[in-house]
Amino acid sequence: MRILVVEDDANLNRQIKDALTEAGYAVDVAFDGEEGHFLGDTEPYDAVVLDIGLPHMDGLSVLEAWRRAGRAMPVLLLTARDRWSDKVQGIDAGADDYVAKPFHMEEVLARLRALVRRAAGHSSNEITAGPVRLDVKAGKVTVDGQSVKLTSHELRLLSYLMHHKGKVISRTELTEHLYDQDFDRDSNTIEVFVGRLRKKLPEDVIQTVRGLGYQIAED
Amino acid sequence: MRKGSIAASLFWLSAGWLIIALLATAFLLTELYSRALDNSLSGTLRFHIETLVDRTLAGDDPTSESIQIGDPRFDRPASGWYWLIRDADGAVLNSSGSMVGMLMPELAGAFDAANLRSEVETDQFGTRVRAIELAATVNDRALRFTATGSLDEILELVDEFRGQTLIVLSAVAIMLAIMSTIVARIALRPIGRLRSAIERVREGETQEVAGDYPAEIAPVAEEVNELLRSNTQIIERARNQVGNLAHGLKTPIAVLRNEASAGKARDSVLGKVVLSEVEKMQQLVATYLDRARIAARSAVVGKKADATHVMLRLARVMEKLNPDKTIAFVRPDASLPWFRGDEGDLEEMAGNLLDNACKWSNGKIGISMLAERSPSGANLLIKIEDDGPGLTEDEAKAVLRRGVRLDEKTPGSGLGLDIVKELVDVYGGSLQLKRSVLGGVLAELRLPGAKIGLGRNLSALSPH
Repeated sequence: MRILVVEDDANLNRQIKDALTEAGYAVDVAFDGEEGHFLGDTEPYDAVVLDIGLPHMDGLSVLEAWRRAGRAMPVLLLTARDRWSDKVQGIDAGADDYVAKPFHMEEVLARLRALVRRAAGHSSNEITAGPVRLDVKAGKVTVDGQSVKLTSHELRLLSYLMHHKGKVISRTELTEHLYDQDFDRDSNTIEVFVGRLRKKLPEDVIQTVRGLGYQIAED
Repeated sequence: MRKGSIAASLFWLSAGWLIIALLATAFLLTELYSRALDNSLSGTLRFHIETLVDRTLAGDDPTSESIQIGDPRFDRPASGWYWLIRDADGAVLNSSGSMVGMLMPELAGAFDAANLRSEVETDQFGTRVRAIELAATVNDRALRFTATGSLDEILELVDEFRGQTLIVLSAVAIMLAIMSTIVARIALRPIGRLRSAIERVREGETQEVAGDYPAEIAPVAEEVNELLRSNTQIIERARNQVGNLAHGLKTPIAVLRNEASAGKARDSVLGKVVLSEVEKMQQLVATYLDRARIAARSAVVGKKADATHVMLRLARVMEKLNPDKTIAFVRPDASLPWFRGDEGDLEEMAGNLLDNACKWSNGKIGISMLAERSPSGANLLIKIEDDGPGLTEDEAKAVLRRGVRLDEKTPGSGLGLDIVKELVDVYGGSLQLKRSVLGGVLAELRLPGAKIGLGRNLSALSPH
């Protein structure tokens, strides 16, 4: 899952990035509205953490511009202005949720998880595919109740496929959603990770759709 | 503050002045009339004296009985109409028939250039008389001719005149008093209009004092509008400053908190100290920013908001934020009064209550709105309920106290209800927490109502 963080305070930006990276997300950052708008407009993000008070272009304008351009990724607004009229304004501008500063990082993580999950059409923090069960909140995977140890890259890959189970996901899409923009993207590494995952999971869980990509089938 | 009434002051002032002026007029008129009658009497008496002098000249003897005056009143005893002729020593030589058996004292005053003197005397019968005496030498003999006329007759006429004058002037006074009341009413009508216009501002129907006023009070209306405008600007500036301060302080607090609670720092002494102090800072910032906002709000006048519009918008937002919850919105009558106050404040109160309902509910939330009659006019009752675990009576009392939270696990600073309570107080409303038929909490928010304004367009706002 790839997340964009748009926050002008360098320290807060770094903290959110670190927390999200630790939670297994690929994270891109922007420090002003224009840069944030450009990234959100051109890169495929699974969710955005967007501050309202930004230099050059305020957060609500960025959000409205994205929505006008048809960008539908879930957006979590981050702001010090916590009056209900501000919240209503934010939601009306197209935000999906709202966290008031100062926040607990866990709250931001929980809200983001819920947004990503909802956007993919899942109602619970646990996603299952046959014998495989993914606990999104804890970042744990079990097969028939037995815990399976995965590296962070393997977990990201499995998590993305399970969030979009039933859909065929191309290697390009996987690359775009699993790595941040600074990562040296090589779709061959995807094949390597899929191979490793197949060894750790029942063999038929991740299917290859020839010429198109990979898929985890619906139950 | 209220001290008398302009209309009453005008009435009493003009009535007092009228009474004094009319009494003075009555006195003056009577005095003039009395003098005119007295002058006329003196003229008549001088004419009679001339007749006596003529007769004396003609008869050559001042004692002659042939000296008479044609007026029969001079023959009637005690009539007050007398004449007599004295010699230079004052001895009475001749007198009218009306002076039978009576004496008339001699006049004491000095003669004027025409050898006349005039005095008021009282005869033996108590009748006041005007006496005029002429000193003349007739047929080489110095004589004094005196004639008197009854003053009491004149005084009777004067009394009668005074009575009639008072009646006429009283009628005039009553008419003038009625007229001054009407004039005061008409003159004060613009003040009444100004009062109604200011009342409409207070009621939230208009933002400024509207209407055309006479030159005397137009500046008052303009000053009130200027005051309202500057008040609004001050509040707007204060709100902006508060917002800027909030943004300015909250980001560093967030950074400090995250830094202190991340990784190794969390377990270090420094991390713990920073974290605990940051929590205090955050509480203080939140509490005092809310207080500052509320203080700025309490001075807002002339605002009202469509509660149905606000609740529909909040319901839509809450459904987006909580897609797993269903909000049943009972659409109110079109006659539902508006909220008399700031739209943002209504959003703050209802938003926090709705947020609490969403936090605790198992899936169902209900919103309904009613109009309630109260002695001060129509009230607005907003009911928000949920199917959560609910509160006991003691718990409900406890949460309505400041800063109390029953479950530390549910996110929130515990300030949500405090803001609601403070705002409810600012607007003179009430908040009650009861048990809902859904099983959870029923929050009843009562707020002052205002007349329905323009621009209600509900069709575009349906949450479904």
